Amino acid sequence: MLNILIQKELKSIIVSNKFIVTFVICSILLIMSVLIGINEYKQAVTQYETVHQMADERIQQVSSWHSVSYREHRKPSPLMIFTSGLSYDIGRWSDINSRSTVKLKNSIYSDDPIFAVFRIIDFTFIVQIIFSLLAILFTFDAVNGEKEQGTLRLIFSNAVPRTKYILAKCIGTWLGLLIPILIPILLSVLIVMLFQIQFSSQEWIRLAILIFISILYTSIFVVFGVFMSTMSRSSNVSFLLSLVFWITFVLILPRGGVMASGNIVSVPRIAEVEGLKVSYAKNKWEEYYKNMNDIFADSRNNNTEEDEDISDDMMWANMKAQDSLRKEVTRDIEGNEATLLEDWENKRKAQQHLGFMLSRISPAAVFQLAAMSLSYTDIDLKSSYESALRNYRIEFNKYIDKKSENAGPGAGSIMITMDSDKGMDLKVGRDNAIDVSDRPKFTHPKVQLGKILPDVLINISILLLMFTSLLGGAYYSFLKFDLR
Amino acid sequence: MLKTLVEKEIREILSSTKFIYTFIVCLVLILLSFYSGAVNYKLNVTHWEAANAENLRSFEGIKEWYRVTENRIFLPPQPLATLVSGVSNDIGRTANIEPSGEIVADDSRYNEEPAYAYFRFIDLEFIFLVVLALFAIMLGYDAICGEKEKGPLKLCLSNAIPRTKFLLGKFIGSFAVLSVSLIVSIGLGSLLLPMLGVFLSSEEWLRLALIVLAGLLYFGLFLAMSIMVSSMAQRTATSFLILLIIWIGSTLILPRVAVLLSGRAVDVPTVDELGYQKAMYGTEQWKEFMNTLGNYEAIDNDNMEEVMANFNKFMDSISIAREDKMNLYRSRLNEQRYNAELERSQIAFALARISPSASLSLATSTLAGTSPNLKDKFYQQAKNYQTSLKEFLSGKTGMNVGGGMMIIELDDGSPEKDPIDPSEIPQFVYETESLSTSVKDTLPDFALLILFNCIFISGAFISFNRYDAR
Amino acid sequence: MLENNKQVILEAINLTKKYDDGVVALDNLNFQICNNEIFAMLGGNGAGKTTTINIFLNLLEPTSGDAKVCGVSSHIEPLTVKQNLAYVSENVMLYPNFTALQNLDFFTQLGGRLDVSKDEYREVLMRVGLAEQVHNKKLKSFSKGMRQKCGIAIAILKDTKAILFDEPTSGLDPKAGYEFIRLLNDLKDEGKAVLMSTHDIFRAKEAADTIAIMNEGKFLMKEKASTLFDKDLESLYMQYMAVHGLKPTTEGV
Ligand SMILES: Nc1ncnc2c1ncn2[C@@H]1O[C@H](COP(=O)(O)OP(=O)(O)OP(=O)(O)O)[C@@H](O)[C@H]1O
Ligand SMILES: [Mg+2]
Repeated sequence: MLNILIQKELKSIIVSNKFIVTFVICSILLIMSVLIGINEYKQAVTQYETVHQMADERIQQVSSWHSVSYREHRKPSPLMIFTSGLSYDIGRWSDINSRSTVKLKNSIYSDDPIFAVFRIIDFTFIVQIIFSLLAILFTFDAVNGEKEQGTLRLIFSNAVPRTKYILAKCIGTWLGLLIPILIPILLSVLIVMLFQIQFSSQEWIRLAILIFISILYTSIFVVFGVFMSTMSRSSNVSFLLSLVFWITFVLILPRGGVMASGNIVSVPRIAEVEGLKVSYAKNKWEEYYKNMNDIFADSRNNNTEEDEDISDDMMWANMKAQDSLRKEVTRDIEGNEATLLEDWENKRKAQQHLGFMLSRISPAAVFQLAAMSLSYTDIDLKSSYESALRNYRIEFNKYIDKKSENAGPGAGSIMITMDSDKGMDLKVGRDNAIDVSDRPKFTHPKVQLGKILPDVLINISILLLMFTSLLGGAYYSFLKFDLR
Repeated sequence: MLKTLVEKEIREILSSTKFIYTFIVCLVLILLSFYSGAVNYKLNVTHWEAANAENLRSFEGIKEWYRVTENRIFLPPQPLATLVSGVSNDIGRTANIEPSGEIVADDSRYNEEPAYAYFRFIDLEFIFLVVLALFAIMLGYDAICGEKEKGPLKLCLSNAIPRTKFLLGKFIGSFAVLSVSLIVSIGLGSLLLPMLGVFLSSEEWLRLALIVLAGLLYFGLFLAMSIMVSSMAQRTATSFLILLIIWIGSTLILPRVAVLLSGRAVDVPTVDELGYQKAMYGTEQWKEFMNTLGNYEAIDNDNMEEVMANFNKFMDSISIAREDKMNLYRSRLNEQRYNAELERSQIAFALARISPSASLSLATSTLAGTSPNLKDKFYQQAKNYQTSLKEFLSGKTGMNVGGGMMIIELDDGSPEKDPIDPSEIPQFVYETESLSTSVKDTLPDFALLILFNCIFISGAFISFNRYDAR
Repeated sequence: MLENNKQVILEAINLTKKYDDGVVALDNLNFQICNNEIFAMLGGNGAGKTTTINIFLNLLEPTSGDAKVCGVSSHIEPLTVKQNLAYVSENVMLYPNFTALQNLDFFTQLGGRLDVSKDEYREVLMRVGLAEQVHNKKLKSFSKGMRQKCGIAIAILKDTKAILFDEPTSGLDPKAGYEFIRLLNDLKDEGKAVLMSTHDIFRAKEAADTIAIMNEGKFLMKEKASTLFDKDLESLYMQYMAVHGLKPTTEGV
C-alpha cells in the first residue's frame, strides 16, 4: 500500500515540469558555484604563495634587528570552495613585530569593494536559499492540490489510512526532490576531484557532513511544505503562507537575531579600545619620564659633593633602574592592552553568542552556522588565527630580542656624537644585512574536527528537532484535514 | 469602460487574502528596516563619537606639538548608509593619518564584527531587492493565466472590449493599489526616523525619495514582468516557475557572474602585492638615505647651534627627496591599480546592468553614498586631511614634520609648559558627494529601470494580444 | 413566427477548424440561426461544440470559413461581434472574492450597459432563481449551480441579439432546469437568437427550434424540432452515434 502511494508520488513528480526545472537550476547553480569556488580558491592560493614569498624576500632585506617586522598571511582553506563564509570579510594578514599588536587587516572586500556589492555565491548559499525555496515549491500543494484536483476523494474512497497517505506524501516528495538535488551535489564533488583540489581526509569528512546537513536542511522545507498544504484548503493560500514563512525564516530572522543582539549587548568599536590603550600608554610613559627625572634629580642632588667613582657607580645604578623601570612600564602597558582586548573580545563574544542563539530560531541560520564551522570559514577562523598569531608574535619577539642583544646595541642605526671640541660625528650602520633565516616559523592554526563536532552536533540536533516537529505537525493537521 | 476595469481590478486586489498578507508582511518588513536602520545608526554614532573622544583624550597632557605625530580619523556613520548599507560595512572605517606616508584605512565593520557578516543586515535595499521583487511576482504571476485558470477571463473577453484595454485596466489598477500601499508603508517607515531621533537634512530626504523611487520602479518592473509572463503562460504554476527562475537569475546570478567575469578580464594587482613592492622600494630608499647620511661631512664650526642647523638642513633636504621619490613611486603604483580597478568596475557594472537588480543596487547605493566609490572618496578626503594636518603641525612646530628631524630635548629646568590643546588639531570632516553628482551617476540606472518597465509593459501587451484565452 | 420578420443572426459558413496537432475539430460546418430561434447542438464529448462557440467569441481563429454574427465575421471585427453576443460557459467562473451583485455589476458595465440599477440586478437574479439572501454573498461560497445561475443572469443583463450557451443546464437542479427552459423561451420571445450546446436530449427537444447532432466537427443530422416531434430523439441520437461508432472514419451517414 505504502509502496503504491510512494510510487505514485514519485511518478507524478518525475513527469512534472518542476522536476526538470529544479534539476536544471540546481545543476547549473551548483556546478557554476563550484567552478567559481575552485577558481577563487586557486587564485587565493597563488596569491597567498606570492605574498608569502614577498614577505620572505622583504625580511631578508632588513638590515637592523630593530626594524625587523614580518607579515604573516592567512592561508586559504580548501573548503571555502563550498562555503566561502567569512573568508572575504576577515583581514588576510597581520604584521608581526614588537611595536604593533596582532590584528588581521585588509579583507578582500575592503580592498575590492566591488566584490562586496554582489557577494560571492557558493554551495552553502545555494542550499540555504534556493534549495529551501525549491523544496517549498515542490510541496506547498501536496495535499490541498490533490483535493483541488479531486483525486484526494478518490484515493480516500479506498481503504487508505491517513497515516500511510501523509507518510507516503512526505517520503515520495522527499525522494522526488532528492534526485534533482543530490545528483548536482555529487557532480560538484566530482568536479572538485577532477580539478585535483587537495583535500585532507578530515576535509572529506567535513564535506560529507556538510552534504548530510544540506539534505537534512532541505528535508525540513519539504516537510514544512507538506505541513502548509494540510493547513489550508486552498493551494493559493498555502502557497502564500509558505512563501511568507520562507521569507521570514530564511531571509529575515537570521539577520534579525544578530541585529537584535547588537542592540542588546553594546560592544564599543575597536578604535575606541585602541584609543584607551594609547591614552593609558601615554600616561604610563609620562609617569615614567617623571620618575626618571626625579631619580636623576635626586642623584644629581646627592652627588654634588661626591667624587667621580661613586658618580659612575650611581650612573650605572641609575641606568639599571631606568632599564628595569622601562621594562616594567612596557610590561604594564602590554598587560593593560591585553586586558582591554580580552575585555572587548569577551563582550564581542557575548554579543555573538546571543546573536547566534537568537537567530537559531531559523533553520537557515542553524544550517549556515554549521556549514561555516564545518568549512572552517566562520568566526573561529578569525579568533584561531589571531590567537595563533599572538603566540607566534611572542616567540618572534623573543627571537628578535635575543638576536639584537647578541648583535649589540645600535647595530644598523645612526649614532651621533657631539663634542664641543671635535664637533659633530655621525656613524651610520652600513648595509650589513642580518640573517633571519633561523627565525621561528608560523604554523597555521587548524581547528580539529573533534573540537567543532559538539557544536555541529548541537546544530544537527536542532535541525532534526525542527524536522520531526514539522513532520508531527503535518501528521496531526492532516488528521483533521477536511477531505471533501 | 476603462474605469470599470480599473475599479474592478482595485476592488479585486483589495479583497484578496493574497494582497492582505503581502501588504502586512511588507509593511512589517519596511517598518523593521527603518527601525533597525535608525537604531543601528544611533548605535554607530555613539560608537563613532566614543572613538573620536577617546582619540582626542589620547592627546591630553602632551606638552609639545612635535610629540603629536599622528591622528586617527574615522569615517562618520551616515543615516542613509544604514538604510542602504552598500559597501559601508565592508570598507575600512579608521585611518591613522601621519603627516606623510600612505593612508590605509582598516577596521571594516565586518572584519571587526564578523557576526554581522554571517547574515548581513535587513536594509531597505535588501527589502527592495529580494522581498519586494518576490511580492511583485506573487501578486502578478497569475494576473492573466490565473484569471483564465480559475476566473472569468473568457467571459470578460466575450464582451466588446479590446484586449489592450482589458490589460491596461489591469496594469493601472494593480500599479495604483500596490504603489499606493508601498508608498504608504515607506512613508510610515520614514516617519519612524525622526521619531527615533534620526534627523535627515532636506537633501537626505530628497535622496531617500529618489531611493524609494528607484525601489518603486524596480517593483513596477517586476510586476510588469510578472504580468507579461502570466500572459504568456497557460498555467499559473508554469508562470510562477518561469518568474522564479528569472528572479534567481537576475538577482542572484547575473550580477555576480558579471563581477567575476570582469575580474578575469582585467588584471588588478592585489593590495598586498603592491604593499610589498612599496615596502621593498622603501627599504631601498632607506638604505640610500642612510648612505647619503653617512657621507655627511659636518661643517667646521664652533657654534653648536649652527652645526645642528646645518645638519638639520641637510637631513631635511635628503629626507624630503626620499619622501618625494616614495610618493612618486607609490602614487604611480596606486594610479595603476586605480585605473585597472576603474576599468574592471566599468566592465563589471556594464555587464551587471543587464540585470535590473544591479541597476537598483547601484542606484540606491550611489544615492545613499555607499557605492564602491565610498572607499575612494574616503581615501581622497583622508589624503586632503593629511595635507592639512601636515600644514597645521608644521605651523605649530615650525618643522618639516614627517621628514627626518633631530630633536634635542634638554631638561634645562625651565618652567613646565602648558599642555597643548588637542581640540586645535584639525578635525576630519567627511564630505558626501554632492546630490547633483549622485543624481548624474544614477541617471543610467534610472533610465535602465524605466526602459525595462517599458519593455515589459509592451511585452505584456504584445503577448496578451496573442494569448489563447480558451 | 412571421417569415418576413426573420433575420439571420448567427451564421456558420463552411466553418473549419484544424488544431495544430492535426485534430479536425470542425469540418465544413454550415448553419444559420435567426432571431426568435433556439438552436441546440447535441453531440458526444469532443464533438466540437465548444470549439464552435469559441470561434464565435473569437477565442479561436477558424482555419477556414466564417462565423458571422449579424453578418459580421467574428475574426474580422471581433469587437462588433462581441457587442451582440452574450455567453455562458460550461462551468461558470466568476470573481470569487466579489459578491453576486458585484460580479453582475462589473460584467454588465463591461457589456456596455452602465445604467442598470441595483433593483434590476436583483430582479434578474431572482428570475434565474437566486434567492435574495445570497445576492450579497461572495462567489467563492456558491455551489456550481448557483454560479451557473449567476452566469445566466449576466447573459440576460447584457441584453444582446444572440446568446451562446455552452452546456447551460449542467449542474442545475431539476427545478432550475425546468425554469431555465422557460427562461429560454422568454428570451426567444424577446427576439434573441440562441445557440446552445447540451447533452440533455430531453431539454433540447423541449426548448429548441432546431436540433443538430454533431460528431467529429460535422452535423450528422440537423432538423426542425417540429419535424422531430414524433420521432424518439434519444433513439435517433443513439442510432447516429452507433453508426458512427461502427465506422470511426465515416464520411457521414
Ligand atoms: N487546444 C486544443 N488542441 C488540440 N485539440 C483540441 C484543443 N481543444 C480541443 N481540441 C479537440 O477538438 C475537438 C473538439 O473539442 P471541443 O472542446 O469542441 O468538444 P466539445 O464538443 O465541447 O466536448 P464536450 O462535450 O466534452 O465539452 C476534440 O477532439 C478535442 O480533442
Ligand atoms: Mg465542451
